[in-house]
Amino acid sequence: MTSVLEFNNISRSYRKGVPVLDGVTFSVAPGEVVGLLGRNGAGKTTLIRIAMGMLFPHGGSVRVFGLSPTEEPVAVKKRVGYLAEDQVLPARLTIAELIDFHRYLFARWDEALERQLLERFGLSTGSKIKQLSKGEARQVALLCAVCHRPELLILDEPAGGLDPAARREFLETSIQLLNREGTAILFSSHHMTDVERIGGRMVLLDKGKVRLDRELDGLREEVSMAMVPRASLPDSAVIEKMRGCLGVRLVLDEWHAVFNGSPEIVDRELRTTTGMNGIRSVSLPLEELFIELVGGDRREVGAA
Amino acid sequence: MDFFVNPSGELSLYRQIMRQITDAIAGGRLKPGEKLASHRELSEHLVIAPLTVKKAYDELEALGFIETQRGRGTFVCARLPPTNPHDQQDQLREAARKLLSQAYLAGLHYSAVEKLLKDADRELTGGATKTTPGEKVKT
Repeated sequence: MTSVLEFNNISRSYRKGVPVLDGVTFSVAPGEVVGLLGRNGAGKTTLIRIAMGMLFPHGGSVRVFGLSPTEEPVAVKKRVGYLAEDQVLPARLTIAELIDFHRYLFARWDEALERQLLERFGLSTGSKIKQLSKGEARQVALLCAVCHRPELLILDEPAGGLDPAARREFLETSIQLLNREGTAILFSSHHMTDVERIGGRMVLLDKGKVRLDRELDGLREEVSMAMVPRASLPDSAVIEKMRGCLGVRLVLDEWHAVFNGSPEIVDRELRTTTGMNGIRSVSLPLEELFIELVGGDRREVGAA
Repeated sequence: MDFFVNPSGELSLYRQIMRQITDAIAGGRLKPGEKLASHRELSEHLVIAPLTVKKAYDELEALGFIETQRGRGTFVCARLPPTNPHDQQDQLREAARKLLSQAYLAGLHYSAVEKLLKDADRELTGGATKTTPGEKVKT
């Protein structure tokens, strides 16, 4: 299957030459849902803006439906829905006027979906944009991003600043779109549970590089963390060099080492390699995995 | 059937669904031949990706617990996968030994283990007290 979105060795730097993105490569297949994870400043928004043709990459190439988003912006944008992190909507328009404008732009506008979302979000179309709460404005922006039934939906922190109920409504809408249209979605988020609910795959960005790119199904059974007391192993190099090691971090007086493999396998391999007993390995919820791989005090280990 | 998932739980979401369905079949809350919600319906109900539910259904189908009939839906198999009673016996004896050993090491008495078994039975067969989604005690 051809990809709907393809990043190929993308790099981009600030003016001073500080890299934001440093050789990012991954793609999104039709109907696939990919959660883009990473700490603040990891390069998520920059990458998304490159996909939307709002920024040029300094190196590498991006293709959306096989097209360049900077050379053929209209052909690309017709088929993409985009929700920016800090989406600014025209304050003086009413919701109805804003929707009219979008309907005029897009030939494929789905009025049934529009009505359904207005009702679900409890929005009244006469309200002025500037009177909306942050959550409501987000919902209007989401509506405008999905009602032309895009084949690819790019959402930058879609649930950012939303309360739990509004987040849940956003998730329900996304699931419904997936069920109905098979829309491919790339979305960035800090909420691991959201990523796990709607994502099929996660791509973890760290300092401008892809640190982990994995299917979510089974991830918890396939990745585990071993805790090794520093007192018995002063230098973590021996663990870092082991096959399947994804990262090592010092937490108080213990090494936290993340590995590919179930806890039993990791325990066994660690025992053989270090000759130590009393190593405990556990499987990790996504939230913990995120912290272990991109949290502080960590040792650099080759990308996964 | 009332399913739930807990994204911060220990198992992957598709495994959580698989376990709940096999539990329901084991406890008789899902009967042979009974129709299951479609994977799309269940995905909207649980607010998780349709492919995750599909993966759980596919695995259960491969294991012989459920079957999909084209155009009609997904059903609990009328005949569940055959098992060798002798193998089963050995496995169960081993599991029982493990359970007791763990309980005794934790300082529990035999009567406490019996109570745990009764609780588990009530949960499987549906006689259990109502639990709220995501807070169900792991058995």
